[in-house]
Amino acid sequence: MSAVLIEARGLGKAYPKVHRNADRLRALGRLLFNLGDRERVSVLRDVDLDVVRGESLGLIGENGAGKSTLLKLITGVLTPSSGTVRVNGTIGALLELGAGFHPEYSGRENIAMAAALYGLDGALLRERIPKIIAFADIGDYIDEPVKHYSSGMVVRLGFAVIASLKPDLLVTDEVLAVGDESFQKKCVRWIEDYLAGGGTLILVSHSMYHVQKLCRHACWLRGGEIAMQGDVFDVTQAYLAYHEQKSAPSTEAAAARAGLEFSVLGVELNGAGGDQPVVLEYGERLRVAVRMRSRDGRAPSLAVGIVRADGTPVYGVSSDMDGAVPERSGPGEYRGEIEFDGLPLLPGSYSVRVHPMDPEGVRLFDTAERGLVVRGASREFGLVRLAHRWIGAGAGPA
Amino acid sequence: MPVARLTLRFFRRELGNRFAGSFTGGLWALLQPLVQLAVYAFVFVHVFKSRIPGADAPGYVPFLVTALWPWTAFSEAIVRSTTAVQDNAALIGKVALPREVLVVATAASSFAVHLAGFVAILVVLALTGQGVSLMGLAPALLLYIPLFALALGIALICAAVQVFVRDLVQALGQIMMLLMFAAPIFYDSMQVPEGVRGWLALNPFTFYADAFRALLLHHGAIDLTRVAFALATAAVVLLLGHSLFRRLDPHFEDFL
Repeated sequence: MSAVLIEARGLGKAYPKVHRNADRLRALGRLLFNLGDRERVSVLRDVDLDVVRGESLGLIGENGAGKSTLLKLITGVLTPSSGTVRVNGTIGALLELGAGFHPEYSGRENIAMAAALYGLDGALLRERIPKIIAFADIGDYIDEPVKHYSSGMVVRLGFAVIASLKPDLLVTDEVLAVGDESFQKKCVRWIEDYLAGGGTLILVSHSMYHVQKLCRHACWLRGGEIAMQGDVFDVTQAYLAYHEQKSAPSTEAAAARAGLEFSVLGVELNGAGGDQPVVLEYGERLRVAVRMRSRDGRAPSLAVGIVRADGTPVYGVSSDMDGAVPERSGPGEYRGEIEFDGLPLLPGSYSVRVHPMDPEGVRLFDTAERGLVVRGASREFGLVRLAHRWIGAGAGPA
Repeated sequence: MPVARLTLRFFRRELGNRFAGSFTGGLWALLQPLVQLAVYAFVFVHVFKSRIPGADAPGYVPFLVTALWPWTAFSEAIVRSTTAVQDNAALIGKVALPREVLVVATAASSFAVHLAGFVAILVVLALTGQGVSLMGLAPALLLYIPLFALALGIALICAAVQVFVRDLVQALGQIMMLLMFAAPIFYDSMQVPEGVRGWLALNPFTFYADAFRALLLHHGAIDLTRVAFALATAAVVLLLGHSLFRRLDPHFEDFL
């Protein structure tokens, strides 16, 4: 067994342009008589990729960057138009939804067919089917035709088949996103075991959380070419930064903001910058730190508020109310920081809004907003937990 | 061997597909050619008063059966497998598999169904004293091997071309109809005017119609050069089909 599992050199894929039906006939003639195509749309160019055994690689990039095409080339579903790709081992692939299931057949029949497509058949298959069904855990649906499945169930079934095969290389394309919370956890656990046992993974995901959790390396595809390749944290951070830049307001808006008396330079929630939502457990501490710019050098006051995802205000306070003053952190720059100990927000999605205000706390200038997700299991209603106790025998304090 | 197992699995699925959800199930496979045979027998025997010339000529019904059933297997295998790749586009886009398997399984399922019908009806005809020689059944079954090879070769070509040119399957229905009447299925080669008989031999199925009748009805004779020529044709067509399919296979995904 060679240490290098996948070796791609100058890999590229281009599709012939087919507009009219006559083009199809012409393409057939060109292929039969070995003539080159005239017009081609290139979707992947010059990809050099090495994946060694035991590696876990996250493939990230925008929609249409060529991630799925690269996976299809690696799994052999597509033939490269240029370059080569070699895979020295067995592949289990979950490409998009369905994994080639036949909608008219039951889950059980599809398991048998899918496993046979991966070379698992006969007695070995019969022995493993109960395990596969147990892993998929879709109950009586296993004997229903796949066309009646929800997309989550299809993914469960597909993943269960692949899990039973224990391939040298596992390739998954954005499949974790469809499963529910418990199945995602099950898959993540399985993948972690699989990696610990020496398995190799290529994961395509738009969830940086999954990529960072499961992969040690990452490869960022942009417009059909590799933009960056290396350690997962470096690559995902560069990728996120690229997105922030893309979605940042235009320079015109920035200029308009620069004209404001006070403006927000950055918001950190529990030390995390950027614009990704921050996830907290129920009752955890929340620390909001805001960097502000002051045009005339006066210290602004800072208003911090929490609203529910639908905009309902939950709580708001400003530094001047409490007699606090943001600290000067540089020429014309101030930093205001506030801490909520044991945040009593009930589990759900919220936003933290911050506004710099004039020192008197009268006029409100800029606005910045960050997502906040509170996690936890609670059956209480509303937005916040109010301290309470039940009166009567047998009831303890809350 | 995994490819053989995979083919078997697709073959079974193909058979299942044909009869899944149909009321009569597998019986339909036998019923359809029987109805067809009844219609042809009525038209040709009772309306056209067709008779095969010659003193010891067989009855028209066994005469028709011995060529029509293999023809049905042959033409149906080609027409059905022409869309085998196209119909499985979803699978081909998700899983790497040898695509020939789809064509082989579809063609084989047509042959399996009609071969069973063929044997059944011959046994019935033999038992009812229609002059069918059951001794000829074993060599007749052997004859299905080159017939299958020929059908598979054509099917591989058609299935590959169909991916690029979707009109093929429509045209194919007409071509098959033409080939059916241009082969000695409803008539005997000897009934054809001598000047045209040479053209008839160009139809690859002519040999099989004649050969099945020679074996099962002792009607006419087949010399060895024709056998050798037919075997060679089947082998060449199969090789040609296979190489063309292989050549176009890497590009299927671009056009599906």
